[in-house]
Order: sequence, then C-alpha cells, then structure tokens
Amino acid sequence: MAEKRIVLSNCGDIDPGNIETYLARGGFKAFQQARDNMKPKAIVDEVKKSGLTGRGGAGFNCGLKWELALNARAKKKYLICNADEGEVGAFKDKYILSHDPFGLIEGMCIAGLAIGAQRAYIYLRAEYHSLYDPLCRAIDQAREKGFLKQMDIHVFEGAGAYICGEESALMDSIEGKRGEARYKPPYPPTRGLWDMPTIINNVETLMNVPHIIANGAAWFSAMGTVRSKGTKVFSVSGDVKKPGVYELEMGSSLKELVADLAGADDIKAVQIGGSTGNILPASLLDTPLSHETYLGSGAVMVFNTARDIIDIVRNNMHFLSEESCGKCTPCREGTEVMMEILGRLRRLEGAQGDINALEDLAETMAVASLCGLGQAAAVPVLDSLKYFRDEYINRIDQSLFLRSYLGGKMSKSKEGIR
Amino acid sequence: MDNVNINIDGRKIKAREGATIMEVAEANEIKIPTLCHIKGQLPTGACRICVVEVAGSRTLVGSCHTPVSGGMVIYTNSPKVVAARRVIVELMLTAHTGDCVNDTNAEDCVLHNLASDYEVGAPRFNVKAPRYYPAEDSNPYVRRDLSKCILCRKCIRACSDIAGKNILSIAYRGFRSKVVMGFDEPLDSEECRDCGVCIEYCPTRALSAPVKV
Amino acid sequence: MGKETSSISSGRAELLPVLKRELSKNGCLSKEVMSGVAEQTGLPLNEVYGVSTFYTYLPVSKTGKNVIRVCGSVPCDLKDAQAVIGSIQKELGIAPGQATADGKFSFELASCIGACDQAPAMMINDQLYGNLTPERIVEILKSY
Repeated sequence: MAEKRIVLSNCGDIDPGNIETYLARGGFKAFQQARDNMKPKAIVDEVKKSGLTGRGGAGFNCGLKWELALNARAKKKYLICNADEGEVGAFKDKYILSHDPFGLIEGMCIAGLAIGAQRAYIYLRAEYHSLYDPLCRAIDQAREKGFLKQMDIHVFEGAGAYICGEESALMDSIEGKRGEARYKPPYPPTRGLWDMPTIINNVETLMNVPHIIANGAAWFSAMGTVRSKGTKVFSVSGDVKKPGVYELEMGSSLKELVADLAGADDIKAVQIGGSTGNILPASLLDTPLSHETYLGSGAVMVFNTARDIIDIVRNNMHFLSEESCGKCTPCREGTEVMMEILGRLRRLEGAQGDINALEDLAETMAVASLCGLGQAAAVPVLDSLKYFRDEYINRIDQSLFLRSYLGGKMSKSKEGIR
Repeated sequence: MDNVNINIDGRKIKAREGATIMEVAEANEIKIPTLCHIKGQLPTGACRICVVEVAGSRTLVGSCHTPVSGGMVIYTNSPKVVAARRVIVELMLTAHTGDCVNDTNAEDCVLHNLASDYEVGAPRFNVKAPRYYPAEDSNPYVRRDLSKCILCRKCIRACSDIAGKNILSIAYRGFRSKVVMGFDEPLDSEECRDCGVCIEYCPTRALSAPVKV
Repeated sequence: MGKETSSISSGRAELLPVLKRELSKNGCLSKEVMSGVAEQTGLPLNEVYGVSTFYTYLPVSKTGKNVIRVCGSVPCDLKDAQAVIGSIQKELGIAPGQATADGKFSFELASCIGACDQAPAMMINDQLYGNLTPERIVEILKSY
C-alpha cells in the first residue's frame, strides 16, 4: 500500500508564505461552509461521526471533547493547538507547520466555531523558533482575509520543556507558571486555561478537520480500522535508508512503513510512539498501526541488529528524567532510580536484584504517577524485558563475573571499572 | 447534601457529589495516609501517598484531589494500593539523605512513621547524585536541612497561604527541584522573620526551629 | 501548586514573554535583571526564579554569545552524536556545560530537537544544522 496523503496533501504544492496558493486549491471553503451553513452543534456532530481521534498520542475522540466544551457555560472559551512536539523521534508537526500553516489555521477556525472560542493559541516549542515569524505571517494573511473575526489566533512560544506537551502542563505554561502537570478532574473542556473551558488539539488532529467538513464524516470513517479512522502521519528515523514523514491509512502494517517506505532492511526492534513508546521486536513487523494496537504520536524509531537495546532504553530514560516536571514522587524519584540501574547495567556493573527493582518500580510508576509521563516512563523498560530479557540477564551475568574476577585484583576503589 | 451512594472498603456510604474521596473518608472515620495535603487547602497531588484504588480505573487515584461520583467503588488499602505506597515511601527514603539515626527528634518525622507503618526498611534503590545540601543555620527563626526535604511543598503553601508572605517557591526541574528563597539564597532574616509557620507544616526535619545555644 | 495568593497579578500571564525579552536584551537572567522582571510583573523574586529555572531556554547563569545545543536523544545518538560532541570539543576546547574563554560559544546537550531525519543534529542559537560530519562542524563553527 502506498502513502495516502490527506493531511499532507498541500505540502510541497503550495507556497506556505502565500495564502492565495492555499485558496486556489479550495482552501478555507470548508471554513466558510461551516461558518455560513452549519450550527456549532452540527460541526461537532460531523466531527464526532467521523471518528477523528487525537493525533498527538492520547487518541481521545475529538468530537466528544469538543462537545463537552460546546456545552460548557462560560464567559470565555479557548482553543489551543499543541505544537510543542517534544517527543523523541517526532518531527511530523514541524513538517506540517513548515509546508501548510494555512491548513492548520483553517482547522483551528472551524474548531473555534464548533466550541465557541474567542481566542486561540498555538503553543510552539522554543526549538521551532524559526517557524515563529512564518506562522505569524500566515495568521496575519488569514486575518486580512477576514477569517479570524470570531476567534483570533496568537502564537505562544515555549521555553524548552518536553512536559509542556502534556496538556495540563501546557496550560500552566501559558498562564506564566512552571509547566507542571495538574491532577484531573477537572478536565480542560470543563475547566482549563484560567479555569475556562479549553480544547487542546494536536497540529495533525486540527489538519484533518477541513477535510472532514469538506468531504463528510462518512468519507473519513470509511478509512482506517474500527477504532482508528482516517490516516496517520508518521515520522520515521533511526536505521532506515529514507528517514522522513509518511502518511498512511490507519491500520497499515509496521512493515509497510519502516521497510517498504522508509527502506529499513536490517531490523532488530522498532520503538513506536516516542520515548515512552512500545518496543516491538522484528518478529512483530506485521502488526497493524492503530490506537487498538500501537500508535502513540506516530514517532517511529528503527534499530538494527547491531544496536544495544539496554543502551537505547537508558537513553530514553535519561530523556525522561531530564524532562520530568518533578512534581510527583513516583516519576521524579523513579526515573532517577531507573537511570542509576540502567546506567550500571550499561557499564557492566549490574546486580542480581536489578530486574526485580526495575519491574517493581515500573508498576508503581505506571499506577501512581500524576501524569502520562511518569505513567508511561517504564513502558520501554518493560517491553525490553519482555522481548529482550536475555540481554539483561547476560549483562548482569557479565557484571557479576567482572566484579568477582576483578574483585581480587582491585582495591576498594571502583575507578578501574568506570 | 449527601446525594450519591458510593462504596469504600465494602462499606456503603452516602456522600456529597463532588467532595473528594479523602473528605468523604475522613467524614466516615476511614483513615488514608497523607504527606503533602494541608487540610482545608486546595490539594497538591504531589506526594501520591494518598492514592487509592477505584474500580474500573486503570491507574490508582489521589484521594486528596479526586471527586466522588455516584456508584464509585473505592479500596483504600487493597494489595495494589499498599504495594504502591510502600514503593513510594521507599523512593522518598532514597532521596532523603542526611543523618537521621542520631537525630533525637526523628520520631517526629512523618516519613519515618510512614515507613514504620508500612514496614519499609532501608531502601534498596540508589541514585547517582543524591540531593545533598549543607544545613543552613544562618536564619535565627528557621533552620533548613534540605537533604531531608521530600519536596511535598507544604512549606511553600504555608508561607503563601497561611503566613501570607510568599517568600518560598519551587525552582529547577525534575530530580533537581528545590525549595528556594529569592535567587536561591539562604533565608534572608529581613524577609523571613518572627514566623516559623513553615516549621509546623514540614513533615520531615527539613525545617526545624534553631537550637538556642 | 495550590491557590495563587493576592499576587494574582496580570503580570503573571506576561511572565514568559517578559523573561524572554529581558534575556535577549541582557544576554543573561542575572539577579538584577530578574529583580526587574519581578517588579515589572508584580511577582516575588522567588516566583520569577522558580519559573525561569524550570525552562531550559531561560538560563539564569551566563551563556556564551552563541549557544550550541547538540541533541543527545536516541535518533541522534544512533547516528553518532558522540562524534559531534567530540568534534566540537576538539575545535573549541570545551565540553558540554562549558563556555569558551572569550565567551563566544557555550556548549550544552539538548533533548530531542525534532530533526531526527537529519541526525546527528545541533542548534546554534535558533539555527538548526543537520546531517553533521566532522568537516561540516568545523565549517559551521568558523562561520560564527
């Protein structure tokens, strides 16, 4: 199966600096249709019927979220586009923003009509600062065309914190605070930014909206699987010949993506979703990609047979411990403890109790952390223990041997091993 | 008005919809351990000691911040809950550096009492670089020993919400988080004086009254 | 973090943009600069410090005129980010966490910067450089 470029349909074919090129391809017709001929409830219903789910990783039903916000009574409502894209291996939103900012703006305008928002933010990660001016210019052009009368859009730049991609931390950041996770409930559509009903959607989720309004919910839900409708944009990196952004129908196989399209020919394992994503061995390459199976943000990293899985898991845990907001005990302390264990394993200083410690910690972090970062931090650890347990066991055996072999020759100082 | 029926540990209980699990438990003399919660204040949700099991939920939930709803079935001491609490205490002990064994006031430490209640011994975990800070004795009103801090944030909220001074904040990120004053300086005696409210709220011995010589 | 006290100032919403402005104006968020921000926003200094130190791009210690950030996350690590770090170390004589004596460059390791298809990659200020090789690195550094 080839790519199915719907979200990416304009990328490369329009001038991202000139709204006229977007309008010439039928751009903003869906918005005008929604604004002039559809009541907010009708827009929400169409998106609900389409089955569109969140494309940032959480996969919640988009229309259902909008409905909560539409029905909430408040003086102000907000729409936020989550362009924080800090996930390891994710660069699809950058690609979309660089090539088709107008598609995003149109999607946001329609969402604004649906929920009744007066003000919208695009939360752009600081690392994408080079997109700030082009994005503002695109918004200016949309404003000049009269598309932002009901809801104006502002770009809010982040300041370097992966956790700000988590929706509650994102809101705290916009409010001028540390980007720390909030407990839920209340959920954003009820009480979010400055306690007002707020909808937070990923860039890719919003990009789908004009197409759904233009072509209808039935067209959209005809694609994909039972619980994952439409297409998904993936960013593929690692040991592949053609790293890059690919859009496939939901339910397409992992093999199609990494082998056929991205050209991987030597695969040990693939990590799907990002730093907290599942790790699948090559034997499971025929797995379909969907919310029901494996998906996440769509960041896909491929590892060849020469790669050390423990080192990869350690690197991801390093990322998570650096980026943990630090508010809750299981994540703040747990990621650091896991780093100590994985670090020792990598340096051949493993100990007999290490696997048990990792598994106990993983369970506690999964059930007791305040937000998704802590809850999912140990997923790669558990998956690697499930599929590559021998590597851990061998590493520990080697460590014990080294310790006893060198123990007689070494003084109390461990300088030599380090 | 108590308008919903819920179940806690097998007991049928009538509760006010929207009240937190902790509020309902307390009203019904069911004890749930806490560390970072200040009664009467908005919950923080940081320590995660008060987590409980709710039927149908994949994760445990913080009882200090989770509202009850009709038909909710709650277990405050299930094996899953106890296991989680024990690991959380173990993690706090791992980060809790400094000399407690010789501290004659250690029995005041809520963390050590929790460790005792849940039979958590010396932690089996280590971290590469523990949060060690030299004790600060410069302020005549508050002695700070941040090596014992478990980052529950009660001092910050006591200072801002109860003493009304707002001198303390959390700084840095993740494992390196720290409670700071000013530009991360020792407690200034001009701004921090004649008070000591934070000491009352600190569950460990991170904050204490200076010993008068 | 509990209810905000009477210091719910309208300045709070402006805090991040103000900090960024002051950082680019002054090159560093020193105690003096931060005290100015505290006054401007109506927040106590400890709050401003607490927010600033949370974010990687709002450093409170002095950085070089040009900040080099080499990505160390998995996709770049797979493509030998270690060699990039080594090259920079060789060229400039500084390790991650350090700055050159003349203040021209400072060097940090970064979390994923979203350039995984051009790994290994780095940023110098807001400019992204991907598909790095030791030769390219030398050229790039010389252009500053």
